[in-house]
Amino acid sequence: MSLLAILGVISSAIFSGTSLLYTTLGETIHQRSGIVNLGLEGIMLISASAGFGITVMTGSPYLGVLVATITGGLVNMILGFLVVTRRANQLASGLALMFFGFGLSALIGKPFVGAKINALPRISLPGISNLPILYASLFEFDILIYLVIPMAFLIWWLLFRTRWGLGLRAVGENADTAFASGRNPFLIRYQALFLGGMLAGLGAAHLSIAYTMNWSEYMTAGRGFIAVALVIFSKWHPLRAIVGALLFSGAVAFQLLLQSSGVQVSPFLLDTIPYILTLLVLMAWGGTRRHAAPASLGRVYQGGQQ
Amino acid sequence: MPRKDKRQSQSNSLLRKALDLVARYALMVLVVLLLFGLILLISGKDPIQSYKDIFSATLGSSYGFSEVIVAMTPILITALAVALPSRTGLINVGGEGQLYMGACLATWGAITFGSLPAWVLLPLMLLLGTLGGALWAFIPGYLKSLGLVNETITTLLLNSVAPKIVAFFVFGFWHSPMDTNKTPNFSSAARLPTFFNSRIDLSFFFALALLAAFWYVMKYSRWGLEMRAIGGNPQAAKRNGIPLNRYWVIIMCIGGVIAGLAGMAQVSGYYGVLLVNFSRGLGFMGFLVSWLSFGDPLGILVTSFVVSIIVTGGNLLQLTSGIPYAVINILLAFTLFVVLARPVFFKRKEA
Amino acid sequence: MKIKIYPIIVILVVTALLLAACQPAAPAVEEPTVEEPTVEEPAVEEPATEEPAAEEPTVEEPAEEGPCLIIGALHGGPITDAGYNQAMHENIMQIKENIPCVEIIEAENVPEEAGATSTMENMIQQGAGMIIATAFNHQYPALALAEQHPDVIFEHAGGWEMSANFANFFGEPPDTWYIMGVAAGLMTESNKLGFVAAFPLGWTNTFINAYALGAQSVNPDVEIIVAYTFGWGDSAKEADATNSLINQGVDVITMHVDSPSTVLSTAESRGAYSIGFQSLAAQDFAPEYWISGIGFTLGDKLTWLASTVIDGSWEPIFLRCGIADGCMEMGPFGPNVPQDVQDQVLQARADVEAGNVVVFTGPILDQEGNVVVAEGEVLSDDLMSAVDWFVQGVTGSPK
Repeated sequence: MSLLAILGVISSAIFSGTSLLYTTLGETIHQRSGIVNLGLEGIMLISASAGFGITVMTGSPYLGVLVATITGGLVNMILGFLVVTRRANQLASGLALMFFGFGLSALIGKPFVGAKINALPRISLPGISNLPILYASLFEFDILIYLVIPMAFLIWWLLFRTRWGLGLRAVGENADTAFASGRNPFLIRYQALFLGGMLAGLGAAHLSIAYTMNWSEYMTAGRGFIAVALVIFSKWHPLRAIVGALLFSGAVAFQLLLQSSGVQVSPFLLDTIPYILTLLVLMAWGGTRRHAAPASLGRVYQGGQQ
Repeated sequence: MPRKDKRQSQSNSLLRKALDLVARYALMVLVVLLLFGLILLISGKDPIQSYKDIFSATLGSSYGFSEVIVAMTPILITALAVALPSRTGLINVGGEGQLYMGACLATWGAITFGSLPAWVLLPLMLLLGTLGGALWAFIPGYLKSLGLVNETITTLLLNSVAPKIVAFFVFGFWHSPMDTNKTPNFSSAARLPTFFNSRIDLSFFFALALLAAFWYVMKYSRWGLEMRAIGGNPQAAKRNGIPLNRYWVIIMCIGGVIAGLAGMAQVSGYYGVLLVNFSRGLGFMGFLVSWLSFGDPLGILVTSFVVSIIVTGGNLLQLTSGIPYAVINILLAFTLFVVLARPVFFKRKEA
Repeated sequence: MKIKIYPIIVILVVTALLLAACQPAAPAVEEPTVEEPTVEEPAVEEPATEEPAAEEPTVEEPAEEGPCLIIGALHGGPITDAGYNQAMHENIMQIKENIPCVEIIEAENVPEEAGATSTMENMIQQGAGMIIATAFNHQYPALALAEQHPDVIFEHAGGWEMSANFANFFGEPPDTWYIMGVAAGLMTESNKLGFVAAFPLGWTNTFINAYALGAQSVNPDVEIIVAYTFGWGDSAKEADATNSLINQGVDVITMHVDSPSTVLSTAESRGAYSIGFQSLAAQDFAPEYWISGIGFTLGDKLTWLASTVIDGSWEPIFLRCGIADGCMEMGPFGPNVPQDVQDQVLQARADVEAGNVVVFTGPILDQEGNVVVAEGEVLSDDLMSAVDWFVQGVTGSPK
């Protein structure tokens, strides 16, 4: 295994992990406010198709990314309406949103299947462009990749260093108490869903506009569910999510490397490792230590006074 | 209250309940049709023609109707796999994974024992299928009984693992060079028999039998009573001597058994081969159907029927209106949204 | 109070729905609905008047008799994918160009195996007399339906089953892959060629072997590395696989997946050469580093098949048709291919077309050194879909 191959795995992990990380950050915000969002798959698909379509029509990938981001936030408002205002079951509402995403994204994306776009341009940092092209192209990242880690820090700061973040986490722990101390759980949850939805849209934009440069039905291939697992794996902490995302996506790249080195390990078994790890991690600190999960995760908040 | 009046008001209220149920569903249908019609209009398609096409493809011909039944059967079964545990307060979102594992084990039976006659092979595959599902549900059930992990999370995680295990077996052991992402076709002995000159197979009758059994158990048997007690107030049930932990494991396993049965029926009845990623959300659909009907057997029957009409109708729509098949999911989603949003003019009672 | 209104609403709604459902449902199924109803409608609604005859004289015959043949075509993916589905779609559309009285009903993204049955059945109920199933995994549901509808002709692309009313057709990619292998072998500088494949399928293995043999005929030291995505259209995995191959030192990439666009774009972004497959529309995705490509050009053959169905002379044939017969075509050369390479490639093409070079002529050894095609023998067409070995020089697992 050459240096190029190893660097290649890292590069692949970064490329395909970026969209996963954005989405995971979004879901972290959701779950910290007490909402499990199973509709991420649908949100990502709709945002990806909308963003891709705009990029085809206007020729500007930046506009496409913007539209995808906003779309994600808006679509998530459907979940907000169902879960916060109508107090429906979160899992069912999320799944309904997922099916909605399957359909709406197919409708939006149909005229754009097979279209060629101006992808997000890849920028080299000064030192890197001096390397031979094979190495240099490994680390020519587009702007969304450069921004993802700062974004993780931003979200961390937002959740743990601002009043708003404190309120959000309070709602996630116990919405009644939060309400009693003067916060508005309804509003906070809507805000969390909007922000999280935007992040999921950003992740979707990266997938279709920057990485695969392509749109096809169901293209997210389960990333929405991977994000939900990743949030749990990283114990609802944005910075640990970075490691998790790299790990999950690195596994895919690593498996491809093994394949072409002639090593016979089933790629499918390798793909299960991240999930099994998450399960083991959950089991390990489940019964013995205090749960790190937001206490009212998944529970419907009935509201104090109307 | 005099007896005669009491009986009269009871039958009146029964009639009112039935009318209420029908009215609720009819109004829901109307709202959904309007919303989806709007989407069709915006895309430049004719909504009236599209709805006519959906009806003609599903209720307008005997073939169409049989296809609705074929689509309804797995959804009905997976819904029951969720409904039973839900009565005890367990949230089983793992139908998808349990379905896959049931299909996987049943396929192993079909391939290894393919030369056995059908009357031996089919019950064997049935056993294997239910075993596979039970195994996959045992893990979350056991973990919950140990107080370690919430079953919602474990079932979700295992949902993602199961299809990969299936792919591992298909590509690793059951693969022939002429096949892509599937096993060789099952021998005819390994196929569930079909009826009515259509694709309706034996699993439809299993589904009805399970539905009836579920209704009977919940309403009249001692277990049903105990399950509802646990679901209503776990602490009180525990204090009354009901062994919660054991119940949870057993009930989850039964849920897995049912979902595994659905998986076996899919590969043995519908497909006749194990195709990697054959389920596009069947388990989740079952969860939705069960949840929307609050686990009520009649509600499950009607909801899965309505969902199947939508799903089957989409097939013709693609040919006549050029609407991609995936778009029918929007109609499905609107139906779900409307029910979840519980519009104001319905007075819904909590289960 | 509310309850009293409900029954009335219920009765109204249910009645309205039933009326809508029952009334036009029958005609909707009987008339062959097509993709351009504006042409059919005036002819149907006003059969007695002569106005349609004056406005659209060419429609007069179909207005009386209907189309001479309705063909139902199924695709496993989208028809604009710049790949296999688009190529098949365009080829099928040529039938209509050549025989104007043919009507074509198309369905995209049709699910695999049993999921395709209802689509085909619906097409037959709409009057289809011929079904063309282009996706690999549509073979068995089509075969089962063929048994139930003995008066409908079924043609499947790339399969091997045959029955009284079921046959299959395909191009002969291996010959063209050999030629592409020659091009790749000449263009590579690292002597490593990459192949992104969907599944370890017999056909795919044959393509890889042909490619390898072609490359080795001009460059004996070349190595071919195979990476699987385990999906016909998983673009994220395709991007990953392409990058992984390039990181292993590969400088020419090609593929056997439904759509070449992601592999080509990714190779282009890394500065690697690429060779396209499935559809000639693929070149757009790799303007700089495109070498050449292969496309299916089966339009004429499919037209001939349709015409035999129309005049009743159709017989089940195992139809294979290669570059010499015009069923496969090479794409134009890219801007960076030097003239001498182009000449050699064209020479190889001439040799293959003339029969001077038969790709799978023995002796051929597999990766372990076993003889898989003996000296003096040739691998026959029907065995090509069951190949489970790679020739020497290929790294990867064929199973």
